[in-house]
Amino acid sequence: MKMNPQSKWGWEVAAYLFLAGLGAGAYVFGVLVDLQGWSDAVARIGVILGLPCVFIGCMFLVLDLGTPSNFWRAAMRPNTSWIGRGTIIISLFMIINAVHIAFWIWPFGSVLQGADAARNFIAVLGVIFAFGTMVYTGILLGAARPIAFWSTALLPLLFLVSALSTGAMAIALIGTLAGVEHEVIAPLIRIDTLLLILELIVLGFYMQGTHRVEESRASAQLVMAGQLAGMFWFGVVAVGLLVPLFLDLLAGAAAWSAVLGSVCGIVGGLILRKVVLAGGVYAPLKAGRFEYALPRQ
Amino acid sequence: MPRYGFVIDLKRCYGCYSCQVACKAENCTPKGIDWARCIQAEVGQYPSALRQMLPTVCMQCDDPACMTVCPTGATTKDENGIIQVDKKLCMGCKYCIMACPYGARQVVANWETYFPDAPGDLDPYEAYAKKRWEEGRAGYGMATKCDYCMHRVKEGRNPACVDACPAKARYFGDLSDPESEISILIRRERGFQLNPEFGTNPSCYYLPPR
Amino acid sequence: MRTEGSRTNDSGWIYTSCGGCYGQCGIRVKKENGVVVKIEGNPDTPAGSGRICAKGSAQLMTLYDRHRINYPVKRTNPEKGVGVDPKWERVSWEEAFDTIVTKFKNMKDPRGAYFQATTVQTSEIRFAVPAFMKAWGFKNYWVSGGGLWCGNGAHFMNGIMHAAWSIIPDWNYNKYTIYFGCSKGHGAGHAALQTAQWVADARAKGMKAVVFDPFLSTQASKAHEWVPIRVGTDAAAALGMVNVILNDLKIWDAHYLKQKTNAPYLIKADGCYVRDPETNKPLVWDLSANKAVPFDAYEMSLDVNPDLALEGEFKVNGTVCHPSFQLFREHVKKNYPLDKVEKITSVPKSTLRRIATEFAEHAQVGSTIVVKGKRLPLRPSAAIFFRGSQGHVNSGWNCLSIDLLNQILGAADVPGGSMGHGPPVSHGHPATGKPNTIPYACPDGLLIVKGWVYDHKPYPLHEPGPPQRLDLQDMFPCSVYNAFTICTPEWEKYLKDFKIDYRPEILINFGSNSVMTMANARDVTENFLKKFDFILSFNIYQNEFTEAVADIVLPDTCYLERYTPCVTFPSTFCHPTGMDDWVWQIRQPVVEPLFERRDFNEVMLEIAKRLGIQDKYYEAINNIIPIRYGGEMDPKYRLDPKGDYTWQQVVDNVLKDRLGPDKGLEALKKTGLEKWPAKVEETYWRWFAPVRVPIYFEYFIEGGQKLMKVLKSFGREDIVDIRFYTPLAEWFPCPSHENASGEFDLWAFCWRPSFHTQSSTQNNPWLDEVSVKDPFVYLIQINEQTGKKKGLKDNDIIWIENPDGKRIKGPVKLVQGMHPEQLGIAGCHGHWARGTPVSRGKGVFYDDLINPDLKHTDSLTQGTDACVKVKVYKAKEGEI
Repeated sequence: MKMNPQSKWGWEVAAYLFLAGLGAGAYVFGVLVDLQGWSDAVARIGVILGLPCVFIGCMFLVLDLGTPSNFWRAAMRPNTSWIGRGTIIISLFMIINAVHIAFWIWPFGSVLQGADAARNFIAVLGVIFAFGTMVYTGILLGAARPIAFWSTALLPLLFLVSALSTGAMAIALIGTLAGVEHEVIAPLIRIDTLLLILELIVLGFYMQGTHRVEESRASAQLVMAGQLAGMFWFGVVAVGLLVPLFLDLLAGAAAWSAVLGSVCGIVGGLILRKVVLAGGVYAPLKAGRFEYALPRQ
Repeated sequence: MPRYGFVIDLKRCYGCYSCQVACKAENCTPKGIDWARCIQAEVGQYPSALRQMLPTVCMQCDDPACMTVCPTGATTKDENGIIQVDKKLCMGCKYCIMACPYGARQVVANWETYFPDAPGDLDPYEAYAKKRWEEGRAGYGMATKCDYCMHRVKEGRNPACVDACPAKARYFGDLSDPESEISILIRRERGFQLNPEFGTNPSCYYLPPR
Repeated sequence: MRTEGSRTNDSGWIYTSCGGCYGQCGIRVKKENGVVVKIEGNPDTPAGSGRICAKGSAQLMTLYDRHRINYPVKRTNPEKGVGVDPKWERVSWEEAFDTIVTKFKNMKDPRGAYFQATTVQTSEIRFAVPAFMKAWGFKNYWVSGGGLWCGNGAHFMNGIMHAAWSIIPDWNYNKYTIYFGCSKGHGAGHAALQTAQWVADARAKGMKAVVFDPFLSTQASKAHEWVPIRVGTDAAAALGMVNVILNDLKIWDAHYLKQKTNAPYLIKADGCYVRDPETNKPLVWDLSANKAVPFDAYEMSLDVNPDLALEGEFKVNGTVCHPSFQLFREHVKKNYPLDKVEKITSVPKSTLRRIATEFAEHAQVGSTIVVKGKRLPLRPSAAIFFRGSQGHVNSGWNCLSIDLLNQILGAADVPGGSMGHGPPVSHGHPATGKPNTIPYACPDGLLIVKGWVYDHKPYPLHEPGPPQRLDLQDMFPCSVYNAFTICTPEWEKYLKDFKIDYRPEILINFGSNSVMTMANARDVTENFLKKFDFILSFNIYQNEFTEAVADIVLPDTCYLERYTPCVTFPSTFCHPTGMDDWVWQIRQPVVEPLFERRDFNEVMLEIAKRLGIQDKYYEAINNIIPIRYGGEMDPKYRLDPKGDYTWQQVVDNVLKDRLGPDKGLEALKKTGLEKWPAKVEETYWRWFAPVRVPIYFEYFIEGGQKLMKVLKSFGREDIVDIRFYTPLAEWFPCPSHENASGEFDLWAFCWRPSFHTQSSTQNNPWLDEVSVKDPFVYLIQINEQTGKKKGLKDNDIIWIENPDGKRIKGPVKLVQGMHPEQLGIAGCHGHWARGTPVSRGKGVFYDDLINPDLKHTDSLTQGTDACVKVKVYKAKEGEI
């Protein structure tokens, strides 16, 4: 029996999940660098990248809504709905991120100059909500229980690692393009190397974990050998993970490799979200010995 | 208060799609939208293969997954156990479509004519159907679904699919009344819910195909 | 809100009859501000009991379909042919009438006219078609789908055996049904809505259904047992089972055979009856008197069981003779042993033996039951068939052989058995005694139907003689329609050989799409339709037929825009065939015809007036009514040949004549129907009507001999295989069974989904939407193992090619529910007309594989063979 994947969440939602993750990831690294005092420029890139990415991501979600004029209702039911909870988490993240940015922006910058304790407090708070944002994008999907491919604790982990990795790569890309000296970017790339390896491992576990029920086996089939196989193997694995990994390992010192690797990794991160969404196969309905694939709408 | 429910007797159903089309006609659903879908399946190997149609409706679950995930509060359960979607509140995030195990919810972006190649305006019926869709409880960009034809039930009639079914394979009634026809059928004829593992406690029960 | 009545411009319910298929259930139609907004079943009629099927609900989209024809048009492209763009040009009704009248008046010979009509609008064709033929003076007609979609063997043989158009189990009491090639109770237009309930109720009460079918059809999927069978071998399977029952189990209903069949009739060496020299009556052997007596020596009654011989050898006036039953028993023993049957049918002999045993045992021979105070035999076994069995070279004998399973057990038109669908016997409305359709006996005691919708009754056989029709149909003794003459390049040769001194000139088509329903489109168009000088067509869509060949197309009304005096009589497919009430149901417009659409019957009246044959047309209607609706007309309501009637007035006269003066059109418009109770003598009529049916078809011998004599006089004995005119039921192979070539390794057949009616519903967008999502309708079903061996997977585009090189293309669906050596296609799909864009290019057009030539024609009924031996191969990249 051929089971059907969901078809209602497409590129817009993938872009939302991806950008929210990337923005939050970049913010986390911005704060990390800031707290470590490695590089003010890198810190600022990370922190400042967070807000617009997450915001544009949210705009993609609004774009996907059937009735966008009602978008403001998204947080009316946080007690049960993960979109509700996520909206609050992301909104708070964006507010905190905005405040964080304000420390560096005129006229606030001059007023708040030197209020490092406050900035650090905001940063810690921001990191908490950034993690919330990154993890939430996975949990959001997990609440769709008939789609077993999504209902696994490994998905939030996968999205978390991918978010951190794409966040790091986004900083590396912007930093390099903005002319930040490579020695400052290099530690970030080394961390990203580890993240890429971790992501490969998590992705492996994630795909391996699909053997449990038939609908997630169908998802894995669709992703690894079916219609999405090209996108998965080329887009996610090769371009998104292996290319940046090898560039990091082989030509980690070169600026061109930082740019190329980051672009590849970021694109791969977007495709990962798309593949996970498009591979979301519904559980069949069961009546006795008969199994029914939910029709594609 | 009643808890409205369905019993669909798979023994009697021969897969004619009458319910699906009757629902379309009753509710003026747009192209591509069917609230009472029929799904065909085959099991087993030749020559002992079997085929059986599964007619579906919204299961009006007691613990509805769609309501749990709905971020706006547009989805509610009314006093009769019917899951309602408030078109004024729904923002069309489609999260419910991901969460419903039964494929009960569908969304349509706009009215597409069934006669795309024909010149001129909508015919009188399509114009009527479009107006009813737009002015009724459903609409564009929002989650839409079967409500057991509450407008008919309020008039003392059965849902349209129940009255249409040539084989009398569909029963409508009150689950909270142990003496109702459907309660008795469920007890006596091995009534079961689809995919109970999702824990939604559907109000639509099926009787075994054989 | 609810206002009864039929004012067509306001709101409320209007009661009328569905026209989505020939079942014609009762419906009510809801209007709001002049717009039809809903079609539901009419809860007040036994013909549907308030239910409605997908086709019925969806007809709304046909009423308002924006692709409908709204104005008369004429062809401006002189080129005709399959797929040609006719370049329609709108004309006024006046211009259309003028052209039509001129064409008719300029005919060389009025006999060169030809009528072609659809069987979907079965109640509409009963007036204008025969009336115009009679009034203008021609005899050529074709009811489309006649050769393929229904008709030849099935209706004919049911007429002989059950006085009915079709047969159906009596599910009130039935315990065991064997299906061959039919879906009754599962969407077939045999009181579809009622029988669907009944069969479900019967299953719930323990009825067992066994379905012989090449694939896991709708009915097979609901049955207790699906028996995969090779297409076209039904007679062999049935006769094999008869053999088991008569010779191994030795079960038969002797009382029934002696009293209700010709089983005791004595047969001499030449195969004919031994007759009384004085009275000419067939003789039977009275065992107690030890002498031959006339067949009607004893009263025919359930209480009289005469001691007549069914077996043995006797001498009458020096002639050695045997009861026909003995010959039949020996025949099946000798010719249908299960080893042989297994080879023919592919059904294991153990399965055949088991099913035969179960069938015979469930018949409970000897048991009786009291229904409404009347004691009747109870025979809860039924074997039924329809289009699947009859669509073969063995059309007639497939049907008869299956019914013999019922006849040997007395399970015919008694509780639980196989029933003439209708019921065929009606004593009439209490006020008028009409329609009266009680069958009567011929001098040999055999059943003659009262009233029949073909131009000759199924029995006595039509007297073979020099043909006058262009398709030679009137030369054959039991023919209904044929295609081997008209649809082949030999048509002109046939006309010359049989000295037909006129040629086809004008074809009038009502609603039919014969390009898709007679045989492959090219043969039908080139050999038949293009031979006409002028083709006038009434249609609601421009279809494959009109675009290929029509010169003028008139915008017909659909069934929701017209009056029809009656849809439930003649009682062919509408009544539920139980003890439910009789119902006389009319059809009335729910809206005034939209645009310039005009009703077919109205327009034909107008054409008759303009041709000056109005008087003859009225007389013809006066003559038709007693035949179609059983019983003479009251002179008061006969149409006055000098009068001037509208179609509505004709309808009113028919109603008052049949139902009484207070039941005219105005009265019936309110409820759309008139009901009265059914009697046991009507529903279970078999033992109440003084008639017998043959199990030994003695009269085929004479019919065949007479036919051969006629053929010989024209030097064309080659067109009939005389072996088919045998008194003993036989299975004859189809060309597909004789094709031993390993290259053509699959049998192809077509089937009908429950939500389509012939070629008429595919353009309905709601039904198309269902079809697109259905996993079978638009696809070619092939057994999964077979498909994999051929390297096929789901949705591969394949060619299917027959031995004549004709081929069709479509996507594959690999399934388990299919005989491994066959492939199935839902028939009448794959439209290509410009006028039906919704259906265009969807599904597969099966009929293009059908060769209508003589080799594929039943010698007995002239039906066309619809099964084909094929090979399949993947389409190349560029062909997809």
